[in-house]
Amino acid sequence: MSAAGKGDLTEPRQLKTIDLSEAATIERAKLGDAEAFQALYDKHKRRVYSLCLRMTANTAEAEDLTQEAFLQLYRKIGTFRGESAFSTWLHRMSVNVVLMHLRKKSLPVVSLEETTQGTEEDSPRRDFGAEDMALAGSIDRLQLQRAVDSLPPGYRMIFVLHDVEGYEHNEIAKIAGCSIGNSKSQLHKARMKLRDLLKINRAEKAGESRAG
Amino acid sequence: MNCVELQNSLAEVEDGSTLEQRAHLMDCPACSTLVKELDLIIEAAGRLQEADEPSPRLWNSIAAELRREGLIRPQRPTVSTGSSFSARWGAARWQVPAAAMLLLALGLYVRHQSVPDQFAQQPSVTAPVAKPSELNDDDLMQEVAYNTPAMRGQYEDSLRSVNESIREAQSLVDESPNDEDARRSLMDAYQQKSMLFEMAMDRSLP
Repeated sequence: MSAAGKGDLTEPRQLKTIDLSEAATIERAKLGDAEAFQALYDKHKRRVYSLCLRMTANTAEAEDLTQEAFLQLYRKIGTFRGESAFSTWLHRMSVNVVLMHLRKKSLPVVSLEETTQGTEEDSPRRDFGAEDMALAGSIDRLQLQRAVDSLPPGYRMIFVLHDVEGYEHNEIAKIAGCSIGNSKSQLHKARMKLRDLLKINRAEKAGESRAG
Repeated sequence: MNCVELQNSLAEVEDGSTLEQRAHLMDCPACSTLVKELDLIIEAAGRLQEADEPSPRLWNSIAAELRREGLIRPQRPTVSTGSSFSARWGAARWQVPAAAMLLLALGLYVRHQSVPDQFAQQPSVTAPVAKPSELNDDDLMQEVAYNTPAMRGQYEDSLRSVNESIREAQSLVDESPNDEDARRSLMDAYQQKSMLFEMAMDRSLP
């Protein structure tokens, strides 16, 4: 057995390449330089992993997908010509990896019918009132994270791509294979659902503190 | 525009900035609150972009796969020999970088021996200096225990693992001296051990 896979120190190695520009690091990675590969990983791992985690809501899957995204990156890095930003290239690749995974699992990437039909649950709420618990102030990141994890996969994907990753609706439409209107509608519903989830969460917490 | 129409229209114009939307929002505190709350969600979403960090072990898995696929070449031997290192720990601590260099030399020797036209002349690989398992492992562990005691267990595991790999690869090379894969495995194992020494030194530098 090769020793290559046996190094199991849990902290990535400190690099001596931190002063190099990303372009130089990419060129070194194209030549197979291990430190350059790791420098690129260190720089982009959080964003790629967070994307995978938000889209799947599962840490084990997210790590597998992060690994697959970086492996694809390194396999194809020789073809990177710098027409787009490296981060854009990598994140597009990561999104594709996640979408392929979701399709393999037969999860609905986007529900095409939901947008025009609307369900009882998704219909606009008419019961606005003073009894609603307002989301005043800022929203706690962990609470939002949990609420996003609770969204149906289709809503979650559109919300993550648009509101977290900053993709435009026309880009999402191309990536997910839906119409721009569909993307907008799904996003709006995702936000409304998140609002409900966050309010429920606050109401539960308020109830707990009253009881306690 | 009523409340339902306002909600539907937010899918298209999310900030409520059209004339019709603004007219409704002026008179409807509930819808006005809704728009503000959706804005809060949008604002908070940006903070999720780099919110999470993968397990530190993930890079090891990726690197192992890259090596297996031959996408990365072995790391270059870069042994730190700064004066601060010497001044801080004295001459005795040079045993650790010396061991790393020795391992590198051993690895390079193995690789040199793998040139095909030398197979006939050199049927087996014999370590030119000492057995790798005897190369100052104790000194390495002392170094780790002194500088980063919290990492000691991990270094011990890694060292045990890499020594085992060296032994396995060496026995394969001894059995089949012309086996290129076995030689490469042995070279990788030496490289891995050398990296452990380098890491120990990196961590001990200020």
